[in-house]
Amino acid sequence: MSEIVIDVGQRPIREINEEIQTACKTAKPIVVRNTLSRHNLGIGLPPGVDITFEGSVGYYCAGLNTGATVTVEKNAGWAVAEGMSDGFVTVGGYAGMSCGAAMIGGLIHVKGNSGPRCGVAMKGGNIVVEGKIGYQSGFMSHAGKIIALGGAGESCADALWQGEVWVAGEIDSLGVDVNVVEPTAEEVAEVDAILDPLGLVDTSRNWRKMISGQRLWYFESRDANAWLMI
Amino acid sequence: MCGIAGRILNAPGRVGNDLVELMDAQEHRGADSTGFAVYGIPRDSGYILRGMGFNKARLDSDLEEFRLLLKEHGSDFLEDPTFVTSDAAHYCARMVISDPKDLAGWVKDADTISDSFEVQSCGRSLEIVKDTGGAVEVADKHGVRDMIGTHGLGHARLATESSVLPNASHPFWARPFSDVAIVHNGQITNYFTWRDRLHRLGYRFLTENDSELIAVWVSHEMSQGLTMEQALKLSIKQIDGVFTYMIARQDGIGFAKDRYAMKPLVVVWQDGEFAAATEEQAVRRIYPGESEVINYDGPSITEIWGVGNRRAAA
Repeated sequence: MSEIVIDVGQRPIREINEEIQTACKTAKPIVVRNTLSRHNLGIGLPPGVDITFEGSVGYYCAGLNTGATVTVEKNAGWAVAEGMSDGFVTVGGYAGMSCGAAMIGGLIHVKGNSGPRCGVAMKGGNIVVEGKIGYQSGFMSHAGKIIALGGAGESCADALWQGEVWVAGEIDSLGVDVNVVEPTAEEVAEVDAILDPLGLVDTSRNWRKMISGQRLWYFESRDANAWLMI
Repeated sequence: MCGIAGRILNAPGRVGNDLVELMDAQEHRGADSTGFAVYGIPRDSGYILRGMGFNKARLDSDLEEFRLLLKEHGSDFLEDPTFVTSDAAHYCARMVISDPKDLAGWVKDADTISDSFEVQSCGRSLEIVKDTGGAVEVADKHGVRDMIGTHGLGHARLATESSVLPNASHPFWARPFSDVAIVHNGQITNYFTWRDRLHRLGYRFLTENDSELIAVWVSHEMSQGLTMEQALKLSIKQIDGVFTYMIARQDGIGFAKDRYAMKPLVVVWQDGEFAAATEEQAVRRIYPGESEVINYDGPSITEIWGVGNRRAAA
């Protein structure tokens, strides 16, 4: 089955996204070339679509994805797959700030590192980062799992709400109101089930699972200092 | 939201044109005003001034008054000043002057007439061009694309904390130090505290723009003997808010980022040449192919990039 090729260059992004949406109706694989790191490519993609962005993309690529399989060959800018409800997004290199922001379902697989606030305010789905997750990753995450195989930056899992941050490797520092707990064998098996289709299972990992300390769930004036980030 | 950019060339070349491209690509980040700091081939003596008068009907009397202040400090025009006027009330001026006996003393006196005419840059090499409008509009009006030099900064402003005025645009000159300019993306939250403190120390603020604080703060720290590296590091502790700012001097460009890691900076640094911008897609106006892009995304970071050959033939 032949693929549909769409060239970006300096053309208007709206025109390109309309071409992508039209191509989505054909069930053929889509390849987007010459992206020049431009923003807002492939927004609101429908289920069943297979789309590849050659090279690097800018902000909000694959935002509001409802089920497409999206591959970004190299780096992604801010908030890749923001607000995704379903689908599978792979970033071959570095994922910029707020990767998977406010996503509610689906899976993001980042092969490199991720920037600050990975999984900020996410409400479902999972994010797997093979490298290190950046500063304040998991900030106010409500649900879902952020799984980092290469360590975490400063203020890890800051103000985490109900989601989970799993880290193998060094953690530079923990954020506010975080509990580090020893995961049970069943919980590790759940994480391995997410990693297995990606070929990333390694039973020798020393996992640390971070969950909310729940002190920020209720405001107590005597605990006001806990609300100050620094 | 604002957009910033920096560029360093291996040898003098069309740095103005590159900065216009970097800012045109980021115009959606702020089209209120645009500004450029371009470092041309340095003079051995004399300073290039860029400035702005706020009432073009008073151009002749402003110039006369300004020249008197120069002469009081043992300086005069080395070339006839040139002016750019438009439908707007303000006008922009470029002057070349001989060295005043005491640069800081002259700047202090020149600033007494800043309500009518404001000196916006002074340098052996530095020229700051800024105005209201988008990148191409400002560039066409002031001939920025034709400015030759080794390095420089660019800024697109979306005013969030103060009015849109031509002189409230970036870059800001760290008066009275020649050849020092800053551009800033973010908001300074302890602006009034610092402004009061620096005002009491005798520093004069010419605008209501919170970003001007960084230029004045840097001037103060440099007067206390801090190196650029020390000042950049200290700013992260002392200046509160969200910021990524760049500071340029004759010998290079430095940058600092706040402890919240809010404002991005994307850098390509290869073969002694450098392009930096808030957004990667802007850097790709300079380097269209896939290149090694460095994302300065972490909290509390600083970096300095040096300028190599400043006088080689273009």
